[in-house]
Amino acid sequence: MAYPYRHDSEVRLLSEHFGNPRARTLEGWVELGGYRALRKALGMDRAEVVNVVKASGLRGRGGAGFPTGMKWSFMPKKEPGKPHFLVCNADESEPGTFKDRELMRWTPHALIEGCLIGAYAINAEHAYIYVRGEFFEAAQIMARAIEEAYAAGYIGKNILGSGIDLDITLHIGAGAYICGEETGLLNSLEGRRGEPRVKPPYPAIAGAFRYPTAVNNVESLIAAAQIVENGAEWYRQWGTEKSTGTKLFCVSGHVKRPGNYEVPLGFNFREFIYDVCGGTPGGKAIKAVIPGGSSVPILTADELDIGMDYESMAAAGTMLGCGSVIVMDEGTNVVKQVRRMVDFYAHESCGQCTPCREGTAWSAKILKRIELGRGTPDDLDTLLDISDKMTGKTICVLSDAAAAPIVSSIEKFRGDYLALMEAGDLALAGAR
Amino acid sequence: MADETTAAVENVSVTIDGMELSVPAGTRLLDACAQAGVDVPHYCYHPGLSAPAQCRMCLVEVEKSPKLVPACVGTVAKDMVVHTESEAALKAREGVLEFYLVNHPLDCPVCDQSGECKLQDYVAAEGPAMGRSKEPKRVLGRDDFGGDVLFYADRCVMCTRCVRFMREVAQDERLTVVQRGHRAVIDTFFDEGLTGNLWADNIVDICPVGALVSKDFLHKARAWDLDRTPSICPNCTQGCNVRLETRDNQVMRIKPRPNPEVNAHWMCDFGRLNYQWINRVDRIEAPLVRDGSGRHVPMSWSEALMRLADALRGQTGGAAAVVSPFAANEDVGALRRVMEAVGGGGGVFRCEQGEEVTLPGFPELALRTDRAANVAGAELFGFSRAGGADGKGGLEGVAGHAGVLFVLGDELADAAADFGANASLFVYVGQHLSPAARNAHFVLPSTTFAEMEGTFTNVQRRVQRFWPALRAPGMSRPAWQILGVLLAGIGDAGAPGTAADAFAGLAAVRPEFGMLAWGDLGAQGAALPEAVGQAGD
Amino acid sequence: MSATPIRAGSEYDPSSWPEARENPGFAGDTGEFPGLDEDGVRGLSYVGERPADGGHASVAGTLPYQVATRDPEAPLFVGPYEERLEKVLGRYPDRQAALLPALHLAHELRGYLSPQTMDEVAEKLQLPPAYVRGVASFYTMYNLAPVGKYLIQVCTNISCNLCGGDAVLESFLKHTGTEPGEMSANGLWTVMEVECLGACGFPTAVQINERYFENVRPEDVPAILERLT
Repeated sequence: MAYPYRHDSEVRLLSEHFGNPRARTLEGWVELGGYRALRKALGMDRAEVVNVVKASGLRGRGGAGFPTGMKWSFMPKKEPGKPHFLVCNADESEPGTFKDRELMRWTPHALIEGCLIGAYAINAEHAYIYVRGEFFEAAQIMARAIEEAYAAGYIGKNILGSGIDLDITLHIGAGAYICGEETGLLNSLEGRRGEPRVKPPYPAIAGAFRYPTAVNNVESLIAAAQIVENGAEWYRQWGTEKSTGTKLFCVSGHVKRPGNYEVPLGFNFREFIYDVCGGTPGGKAIKAVIPGGSSVPILTADELDIGMDYESMAAAGTMLGCGSVIVMDEGTNVVKQVRRMVDFYAHESCGQCTPCREGTAWSAKILKRIELGRGTPDDLDTLLDISDKMTGKTICVLSDAAAAPIVSSIEKFRGDYLALMEAGDLALAGAR
Repeated sequence: MADETTAAVENVSVTIDGMELSVPAGTRLLDACAQAGVDVPHYCYHPGLSAPAQCRMCLVEVEKSPKLVPACVGTVAKDMVVHTESEAALKAREGVLEFYLVNHPLDCPVCDQSGECKLQDYVAAEGPAMGRSKEPKRVLGRDDFGGDVLFYADRCVMCTRCVRFMREVAQDERLTVVQRGHRAVIDTFFDEGLTGNLWADNIVDICPVGALVSKDFLHKARAWDLDRTPSICPNCTQGCNVRLETRDNQVMRIKPRPNPEVNAHWMCDFGRLNYQWINRVDRIEAPLVRDGSGRHVPMSWSEALMRLADALRGQTGGAAAVVSPFAANEDVGALRRVMEAVGGGGGVFRCEQGEEVTLPGFPELALRTDRAANVAGAELFGFSRAGGADGKGGLEGVAGHAGVLFVLGDELADAAADFGANASLFVYVGQHLSPAARNAHFVLPSTTFAEMEGTFTNVQRRVQRFWPALRAPGMSRPAWQILGVLLAGIGDAGAPGTAADAFAGLAAVRPEFGMLAWGDLGAQGAALPEAVGQAGD
Repeated sequence: MSATPIRAGSEYDPSSWPEARENPGFAGDTGEFPGLDEDGVRGLSYVGERPADGGHASVAGTLPYQVATRDPEAPLFVGPYEERLEKVLGRYPDRQAALLPALHLAHELRGYLSPQTMDEVAEKLQLPPAYVRGVASFYTMYNLAPVGKYLIQVCTNISCNLCGGDAVLESFLKHTGTEPGEMSANGLWTVMEVECLGACGFPTAVQINERYFENVRPEDVPAILERLT
């Protein structure tokens, strides 16, 4: 039962205990079946753990959708004197995304369990959980839970009498979207500016402190723990062939019932918005929907009859991303919202790569001018050309993400841009 | 990247802009392109620093790669096909250039970098004809970084070469990127600045644009008006390879020339900023011979040298000498031969000294204790150190010498008024008419290293050539030429016509020079072999 | 763990759902989680008081970075705070990795990072001061100048913006009588825009010091300010 609303269409694997304060305590968690997955994993071969997650088809829930088990299998063989690290990416910052925060504040022990299983699978002795700094509340709940788990012997030396030592350290970010990019996160963890690294080398070869590292999202790790407990086939009963299992979808914007919902991948998008989320307040028509967080191309109301899975979204020219659904009703000034998103990327660009550093800021200025009614149609050509020069040209994909809403909005809502240009100084009066 | 390979690296065949060539597997794409004669534009990459691949200027198209590849970190693989001029690569570069210009002040007319600016060059070559930005530019202004360095933030392209130099090479991390994104700017720790770091001016050299400029050079000359001559820094025994950059017969600045054996890409601020002495105009411009009344009378070279040869022929009482450690190998070698011809004798040199300061990221390079270029040369030719660390004193042994007394290049600013008064013949070969030269029978004007060809021997016993960058004033001549003609006059040697001749003559005194051919020295010099049978020397 | 099959193409009636109940201050009871109160949502009593020495080493680096009580002159890294830093240092392979936690600690005590503070942190961690400045200025949560006792950060990113984030920002500015980023004359308030706080389902999300206020409407602002003072 996702929070703060629930719906009968949900399949509540990850979110079953949302809204239940009892689930966050160790005592409550164990009563609810917690740490059984860990016991089971510790009785398995490390490779077996990796294989079952691989077989489940679980794909990374942080946005990129890279198979979690595959990522673990890239870890090299352990060499003496060369520690492995598991890093949990809890730097949830993609506009529209708020699932990891709920996971952490309702079920902190589920994440601890996921981290321990992940660390065991990749032969790491130490896991870092990197929580974005703004999530003070969630971090304090995590902190309390970690202390409980240490005291009860779930973390630390010889966990559960298995002879295995596993540490978890909670690390707090300090305000930088780019630290959600896994190598930016690693630099930040190391006490550096959170600038993404040039790849290769990938984290599996040279990650945290230049040692082999797997970086996994909060939701991925919790799902992986459930898969280890219940088996790959159990997980595959939900979702589609290539997008297996369930996923938390974060819904915000113009919906009646915003919040997190957990549905199987492949769920019909239109049904999700109109039924699960209750449609728009006041029943207004939908103008646009961003299906996977601010970094993905926008869909129009006519494009919603698709499955909520990686492949269907890609076929529709957009991405599932981290499952962050942002709904805009007919009264929305799309240009303003695109400008606001691009402002965000300009603010969050780390500034290393020229196309991103300059392109995001320049695009934002042009969009602001258009929003104020001072644009001309050739600005749209310039924006599209800038976007092209920002896409696929940089170390990480932040500038691609900034370009996506620009390009898709000009393609799909060109009329809105032109209307502002025509309105001139009157554009402000109509702004919303 | 592939630095753990210990086995012999195999060569692979790659095609770059249609040219097929064979290079070791793992070669940096940028280097492979250079071998194919293709200069891939770049800003952040510098061969002396780590490669962050962040300017995105060197993106090239590699067939079968889904994205353009930064040539600064990409490496070649077997049968790779690279296009640096494809539509995609050109468009990406054009994009980067336009992005740079969105906030660039375009103040080339007042920018010191103009004419040697990579932004100017690349925009002229392949940038957009017109910028499309209609937005107001960001204005940050100018910041004094302390020392010799001035920072024009608006010209900066954020390549971070300067930050990486201070971190990786100077290992004195005084610079950082402050803020992020388009608000990012290079800065020091508030007021700390770069003052006190001996290597800071290297960041001016490696700045690809006019963001970091030298206060010393500020608005002094335009890059296109400068003549550039390969030379050797004269200011310590390291022998950094440099370029003397001159205009109107004056050195305007000294810039390092790369030499992986000596100074990599770098040099110290002491060396580069200490060039005013080369530009001194109070020079001896004609040979002066003292007449019976004690007056120095100007004379033609042939007359003066003929008289000097005559005077020397009668001398057998042995010679003494003071030589300058700034004098070339050829100069001190020629003097040694002249001294041998008049019965031999001892000689001294005096050298100012200071604290040795090593460049941590390239410890082969240091500002050396001895603050003159050719101490090793002077010693090789039998001159010994005298005087104090201030380069003064130590003249007691020679000041009252009764035989022939030579002074070569040492200005003798601290010598007593009766210096050389007892000498049967006092020959002063130098650049400046100091009071101590008043007792000289012959005052002969010689050139500085900047006005002549010759070699220095550095602290590593590396013999390195320099070339004439300035016109010599008046009738002054290289000392090796003056002394060589003299030697021909008093002995049976032929007069050297060129510096190569003078260099060849060194073997007569030090056989190891015979093992080094002038032609082998090239622009970067060569190590002087140990002489056979002189190992204990 | 029960699974419900997908209801493809089923009938639905949006109007049958109850309207969301507003809950300024915290994201809690919407009518679907009976009995859930603020403490239940925020886990305040579960977390309890966090000790100044940071508690267990594994979580010692997680204490607040922005609290109302602060002293720009407070000594850093003494007593329990030194203990806390030592614990943090023990969790990483090198001292540099403790930089963010050390800056958080300094920030918690002094309220912002002055050049002097950065210098002290640099010395403690044996890092170049310029490096520390580069890192500190990269992250937006470190204030580099003093701010009001209550730092009010209003999310105006897309999800909140769609639901009136701009108006909430305006309301805070109006009721505190300040300009964005400016400290009020009484030293109580600094109001600024902030990027997505990750509470998009509860618009408008506002962070005041270390705490989130969710579902904030412009008209809620006076009550929130009053609650703080």
